Amino acid sequence: MILLGKIALGMASVGLAGAGVLCSEGVVHVKVIEKEPQGIHINLVAPALLAPIAMHLAPRRELAQAAGRIEPYVPVIRAALEGLRETDDVTLVEVKEPGEHAKISKLGGSIIVDVDDEGETVHVSAPIRAISSTVEQLAAAASNPLYCQPTTPDPQ
Amino acid sequence: MRETMQKRIQIAAAFCLLAAGMIALAAPAMAAPAEKYLHVKVEDPAKDESVHINVTLAMAEKILPAINDRDLHNGKVWIHHADMTEMNGVDIRALLDALRTAPDNEFVTVKDKDSDVRVAKANGDMIVHIIDKKNKEQKVDVMVPMKIVDALFSTGKNDELDVAAALRALSDAGDVLLVTVQDSTQKVRIWVDSRNTQD
Repeated sequence: MILLGKIALGMASVGLAGAGVLCSEGVVHVKVIEKEPQGIHINLVAPALLAPIAMHLAPRRELAQAAGRIEPYVPVIRAALEGLRETDDVTLVEVKEPGEHAKISKLGGSIIVDVDDEGETVHVSAPIRAISSTVEQLAAAASNPLYCQPTTPDPQ
Repeated sequence: MRETMQKRIQIAAAFCLLAAGMIALAAPAMAAPAEKYLHVKVEDPAKDESVHINVTLAMAEKILPAINDRDLHNGKVWIHHADMTEMNGVDIRALLDALRTAPDNEFVTVKDKDSDVRVAKANGDMIVHIIDKKNKEQKVDVMVPMKIVDALFSTGKNDELDVAAALRALSDAGDVLLVTVQDSTQKVRIWVDSRNTQD
């Protein structure tokens, strides 16, 4: 009985440690609510550590396309993220119009985007470190010939 | 003997407390200078619209040199199709030199049926007031400390403005209201201070 208890305690500790490691980089939170009767409701909370891992699992062609699009802006994004990391919490941009409110802010090491309009409410928050590592992976993919190989055209 | 010792300990303790208090008081002053924010506020009460932007100057200084597109390179803007030393026959550098060394005064006043323009220097700041009578009484007020004007023109080249240097100069300047634009519906304000909000 004691042995079983020790095993359970060990497993719980491993689980807790794993959860701790997974959440050590913070969490990415995406919430989308469509303001229609049948509108979609998405509420996704995922450990930010998974974002760079997910990049490895993404299809190469799509990743190459994204990498190609982001490549010219990487130095600017890199500089902006570095600057944001050192900045105090601040509302960077806030736009208010009748029926629409958008806000981009930095809060506790995360970038938060909130959009609220007549059609939907969107909330996205992501840790700056996770965004940085994802951007670096995209930049690396852009310069990696493996990702830049042209795909064989569909014979049909 | 024992009483003297106790008295000395009490005096030493009082000194320690005093020193600790002084350090506590001086610490905020000795701390790193407060972060400076560049604020932009655009408001249109008639349409119930507003845009607020708050960016730290340090961040802007980091981002600017990374942008290399069109006329902006390494934090410098290239003024094409214009040799700044001879812009429309006006020697800008000579004009700025004259403005820098001149005492506070009103230098240019132009009044016609379409607009009023006033260029002056006050307390080391260059001040420009423009009233556009045609465009629904649009008013533009620009106030730029001379240090920033100097930084803008600090590149040796005649057709370049050093925006990055101007941002650095702004960081060293105090709180300053740079631009206000007011027309019949919209109001724009651009200023620098140490607060991270616009309230």
